[in-house]
Amino acid sequence: MSGAVLRKTLRDEARPLVWWSLGVLAIVLLMALLWNQVRDVYTAELLSAYPEELQEIFNFGGAMDGAAYMNIEVFSIILPVLFVVFGVGRGARLIAGEEQEGVLEPVLATPVPRWAILLQKALGLAVGVVALTAATAVATIIGSALGDLAIPATEAVVGAAAMGLLGLYAGWLALAVGAATGHRGAAMAVAGLVLVGGYLLHIIGAILAAVEPWRVASPFAQAVDEGPISGVVPWGFAVLALTAAAFLALAVPLFERRDIETG
Amino acid sequence: MIRTRDLTKRYGATHALEGLDLEIRAGGVLGFLGPNGAGKTTAIRLIAGLIRPSRGSAEVAGFDVARDPQAVHARIGYLSGEFRAYRDLTAERYLRYLADLRGGVDPARIASLAERLDLPLRRRIGELSHGNRQKVGLVQALMADPPVLLLDEPTQGLDPLMQREFLGLIAEARDRGCAVLLSSHILSEVEAVADRIGILRAGRLVALDAVDALRGRAVRRLDLVFAGPPPAEVVAAVPGVRILGTTDRTLHVEVEGSTAALVAALGPHAVEDVVSHEPDLEEIFLSLYADGGEPA
Repeated sequence: MSGAVLRKTLRDEARPLVWWSLGVLAIVLLMALLWNQVRDVYTAELLSAYPEELQEIFNFGGAMDGAAYMNIEVFSIILPVLFVVFGVGRGARLIAGEEQEGVLEPVLATPVPRWAILLQKALGLAVGVVALTAATAVATIIGSALGDLAIPATEAVVGAAAMGLLGLYAGWLALAVGAATGHRGAAMAVAGLVLVGGYLLHIIGAILAAVEPWRVASPFAQAVDEGPISGVVPWGFAVLALTAAAFLALAVPLFERRDIETG
Repeated sequence: MIRTRDLTKRYGATHALEGLDLEIRAGGVLGFLGPNGAGKTTAIRLIAGLIRPSRGSAEVAGFDVARDPQAVHARIGYLSGEFRAYRDLTAERYLRYLADLRGGVDPARIASLAERLDLPLRRRIGELSHGNRQKVGLVQALMADPPVLLLDEPTQGLDPLMQREFLGLIAEARDRGCAVLLSSHILSEVEAVADRIGILRAGRLVALDAVDALRGRAVRRLDLVFAGPPPAEVVAAVPGVRILGTTDRTLHVEVEGSTAALVAALGPHAVEDVVSHEPDLEEIFLSLYADGGEPA
């Protein structure tokens, strides 16, 4: 199988990826450098004044340290949103976006099977997410050193991996829906709904006992429950990766059999 | 090389293509004529395996398009009716990309096609004119010298010189044994290159015949120049003949179908000259559309 589609996907992704990585680097470093200015604000007294549910969601039940600070300020909302937006944007574009522009049709008239085109684009997207994950890990490690956060490198990598898996989940979901339907709007809408729903489930599940058992289904819960900056690699990582792969597997037969839209 | 049986495509209540039976042998060129929405694009995209039939089947070189799309794609050069390519790539890079997906194409072939069509390979596709982008589409369809060409409105946007070059390329492909299916609403273009013409109307093939035979079904205009006063009554009495007018010793007539009866009737009269106006396919086209359908 020719890897031409993968190579093209990587080339297309290289430039935006530089900007995304710089953005992530800037946010993480900025927040890390602020730690020494704000650490006195996060007193045990202040933290214990928060409702227990919030403490659970953001994992600051224990003492406030550099890792907990980064988990609350960067790894709970800003980075997950960035990774999800990155994934959904790329994923919706790679098949459905190109199809609606009309540029996919000549590619689909070549002897490369549709499943192989989908797979190579999925791999290209994954490589992009891994690169952004690496940038996050590096930024966290550097930020920890510069800002005196004392986050072990392994824990920084686990935290970044949680973000990366969320991005991969979002991206492959959007790619799969786009491949199955041919509509970029549908890909973004479905992925958006699933992720917003997943986020609400993650939050509400921590507050309402009746919803709590369903919380495990949330990709956010799966990604961040142990930290995300943490010494433990959560089982949720495997669930996220397998679910993302399942989205693709479900999309293959639909993509193979459906009509291609004219641009 | 191309064979369709009862090929049908419906979108809900819309019959985009209805029961198309078609066969094009190696070296055959079939031109599809019909207005927009007649089913030309649907037929071509069905054979190219980009959409699936609601009923019936299409085969290319013996391979069923639905069952073995890769084998079919390896044997076709396809140009879509609205060809679009990655705007950020140069024409050269884009063609190399598609060549890679086809498992390799001789770069010399790409260069020679680009030269003949006067296509600037080094420019970004986004910067190219509509005509030059269409040339990129033509080169990608032709570059692998496939045994089957499926070309939807191939000459749109091309200037007359390039249209002629394109027709030359198709003639070469035909001589090589390539089976060609092309669509157009420009009649002269189809007439110039096709040996058979299929006319589609509202998803149905309403006529399929050799270009010559289709011409034979047409109304023909003749100018009959007589030595003396024209025998108008004699000519008017011939079935299928209508007198359009008289100028001096010349009768302008319209003949439907064969001219044999007219020639026989003219026997005893001194005819100095007969000027035949070659029937335009447009006239055939319009006469077939006269009952109901809207011509393009």
